[in-house]
Amino acid sequence: MKIHVYAGLKEYFLPEFELADEVGNIDQLKACLLAINERAAMLLAACRFAVEEGFIDNNYKFKSHETVIVVPPSSGG
Amino acid sequence: MAVKDAPIDMAEMLAGAHHPGAGAVVLFSGEVRGENKGRAVAFLEYEAHVPLATAMMGEILSEAKQKWGLTFAVAQHRVGRLDVGDTAVVVITASAHRHEAYAANRHIIDRIKHEAPIWKCEHFVDGSSEWGNNCNCHEVTGDYSKHVYSRPEAGSFPAQ
Repeated sequence: MKIHVYAGLKEYFLPEFELADEVGNIDQLKACLLAINERAAMLLAACRFAVEEGFIDNNYKFKSHETVIVVPPSSGG
Repeated sequence: MAVKDAPIDMAEMLAGAHHPGAGAVVLFSGEVRGENKGRAVAFLEYEAHVPLATAMMGEILSEAKQKWGLTFAVAQHRVGRLDVGDTAVVVITASAHRHEAYAANRHIIDRIKHEAPIWKCEHFVDGSSEWGNNCNCHEVTGDYSKHVYSRPEAGSFPAQ
């Protein structure tokens, strides 16, 4: 599974990387990401997730070799 | 393009707003300020997930056109390095009367800033930088998917 992260998340992860293990859903992905860098916990809690087709919710089941986009909070203001 | 890494041409955008049914055209321009929370800003760097941001901005504009009966609604957001005074985002709305054009414009820019996957890194004159000033509506709503668009001090805009 390929992971793309943006903005402040790049202070905790490479912009693009691959997870060796396949994960089934967002909760499992969050756990994997926290295992890589637990300091990202607070920001990850605020993130949305998307695949190429668009944003996904917690019920979404990842497909094999899917690219997942981790979307931190928008610029706001 | 709704998201682009080149200067926004406001005149070109505005040219499309004129319509026999439009008695009001509202243009909002978000510009790079040279100061934020007491710190001197050198420049900003905007980043976006362009396909997702473009799709979301299209949905926001389409919903607003329908909700307020707009004759025209368009938005562009710039990405990349922006210097102080540069234009970061422009929203133009047009409608028969001004109330709808103003309300829709405010709604559109609020949603873009809070929901579109576009991020801002502030680079300060002292050499430091931070991804900051992000949407933190969840601190009020308790839900990361719910945002605060109703500001009593700013007038009576509908909460979403």
